[in-house]
Amino acid sequence: MELKRRSVLAALGAGTAAALTGCGSGASADGGSADGPAKGEITLLTPIYEKADGKKLLEQDIIGGFHKKYPDVKVTVDYTTYTQLNEKITTAMAGGLLPDVMMMGVGWIPPFAAKKAIAELPESLAAAHDYEKRVLEPSRYDGRLYALPVVLDTRIVVYRKDHFAEAGIKKTPANWTELRAMAKQLTTKGRIGFDPFSAELRQVWETFLFANGGSLFSDDGKKVLFNDTRGVEALQFFKDLIADGSADYTKKTELGAPTNVQTGKASMMVTTSALWKQLQDQKPELLEGDTLGAFVLANRRPAMLQGGTLVTQSARSKHPAAARAFVEYLASPESILGAAKQRGSVPGMRDLGAAGTAYTKENEFVDLSLKNLGNACSEGGTAAWMEIREKIKPTLEPAIVGGQSAAKAIAELGKLAEAAIARM
Amino acid sequence: MVAPALLHAALWIGLPVVASVALAFTKYDVLSAPQFIGLDNFREMLDDAVFRKSIWNTVVYTFFTVPVGMLLGLLLAMALHTGLKARGIFRTAVFLPQVTATVAIALVWLWIYNPGNGLFNSVLSIFGIHGPAWLLSTSWSMPSVILVGIWQGIGMKMLIYLAALQSLPKELYEAASVDGASRVRQFFSLTLPLLKPATFFVLITSMINAFQSFDQIYVLTDGGPANSTTMMTFEIYKSAFREFRVGYACAQSLVLFALLLAFTLVNRRMMGGTRGHS
Repeated sequence: MELKRRSVLAALGAGTAAALTGCGSGASADGGSADGPAKGEITLLTPIYEKADGKKLLEQDIIGGFHKKYPDVKVTVDYTTYTQLNEKITTAMAGGLLPDVMMMGVGWIPPFAAKKAIAELPESLAAAHDYEKRVLEPSRYDGRLYALPVVLDTRIVVYRKDHFAEAGIKKTPANWTELRAMAKQLTTKGRIGFDPFSAELRQVWETFLFANGGSLFSDDGKKVLFNDTRGVEALQFFKDLIADGSADYTKKTELGAPTNVQTGKASMMVTTSALWKQLQDQKPELLEGDTLGAFVLANRRPAMLQGGTLVTQSARSKHPAAARAFVEYLASPESILGAAKQRGSVPGMRDLGAAGTAYTKENEFVDLSLKNLGNACSEGGTAAWMEIREKIKPTLEPAIVGGQSAAKAIAELGKLAEAAIARM
Repeated sequence: MVAPALLHAALWIGLPVVASVALAFTKYDVLSAPQFIGLDNFREMLDDAVFRKSIWNTVVYTFFTVPVGMLLGLLLAMALHTGLKARGIFRTAVFLPQVTATVAIALVWLWIYNPGNGLFNSVLSIFGIHGPAWLLSTSWSMPSVILVGIWQGIGMKMLIYLAALQSLPKELYEAASVDGASRVRQFFSLTLPLLKPATFFVLITSMINAFQSFDQIYVLTDGGPANSTTMMTFEIYKSAFREFRVGYACAQSLVLFALLLAFTLVNRRMMGGTRGHS
């Protein structure tokens, strides 16, 4: 009996040890050589190419084109959303089934590159196409290239020209003082002057931080920089707008729902270039009637948050040559223009030919974004970003919807970020 | 005969439990191998204001959803037990939320709570009342989530109480009637004491369910606004899957387990276990 009990306990212990070691074992894997023929079965994990038209674009046009070029590679697609991307990756890693090719958001590269979960890409890929210099910065970690941009999503301010005309406002605000005054003036007839809250709070605050001359982290990603007066002022500005009655957190709209500028419930709002596509589907008369305009937020400097989707290769792929070939193909001009059009996003390279020019000129929000890539700033920049990004919204919200001061909220966030970086 | 069950339990329950306990003392991010850090995760939890808030929110949520849900479940079971017309339809309607995916339910409630064109505010506007932004207000978000929790849990409570009511001996009630006991007296002196084992079972399972509430928070509020609806399970999920801090999530899970165990033991002692009145 004693022997049996011991055996059971030993088996449990051994199993646990195996599970623990197994979970961590992949960390030492490298991607293997990407030289040699591209062949085998690979998996793509993607949070974009949503809905039926997105799936058709990816599976028929993009993967179809890839198969013609690489007939020995079979691609299986695993669709997800940005909200669920982390958990997909976590469970895949724990189960040792990390997809060969993964699409990720801006800011995600340093954490995954630091842990050697994604493979370094050859520098020649950075020069393969006519990328805007700024565009490739979020694809790098420690100076090395780990990803290629597929589409960019910028944060700009869209406004109602009819509301501006009604209020006698002839130009867009050049700084926050003007923005606050205009928002107050435009708050009338049951509408709010400015809606910064329908976009993700984390990214909106970052946009205001950058426009106020601030930064998130030091260049090496080891020092928190946002907890100075510029970060506090950015958050305080939201509180001031709410105090004026010209912004209202409870009037924010959900993603995909008709936006407040679209319905006329707000005169200005922070949004992305994808709003153009949404309006084409939901309220084209606003575009046809030239009712909407857009500008880049400015205070101490003009700043536009550059988010987007990057494509990376898993460091643990069993078919590195096939995975590398697919990464390159997904980031090639023939793939990214379709993805940008489908989402209303900004393509990250210039050499897209006549079709590309036609698209960027037609979507005025994309055009504005491309013209302002020099003012673009991105989130992330530290290996601890995955943890810090989750803390931003719940830590800042008490200052916006509760009575907490902006200084206290930013100090708290700074403390959490410093602790996360220290744990790296 | 015991071996397959033992193997199953060891593999699918024992191993994960042992692994969770072991990982609670490590720094583990899935990307690299776990590192032993002793009690650091537990020390950090003491300073984690959001996790403390989530414990409080979980207790508040449980405090309201469990007793209110039990009372309503019992009332509905009694109504169905006493020969209500169209019992089948009524029983199905009450039980339906229990077997419907929480995500689907939460999406319907998202519409009901929509401050612009949701059902609640539309009805309130008929009476000239400007309804709040239910899920975006720190004052209203928790009551809104509690309401969904109560509504969703009533079906199972009702079903257990109904089964228990149907098994109560009729001769006791006949004797009580002969002795001149009123319906109210019968309820308090016979029904409630006889339902004690069922009540204990409903209380414990409801409490465990309430402590493990996750789906409705995930879909309805994402723990916000300002952490006003975040719960322990939601924080565990965030730590593990959004922040890649699996070791810390395991430590949080142990705290959840300890709390549940403590509450169960207290309840067991207070109610005298599962023994009914003889």
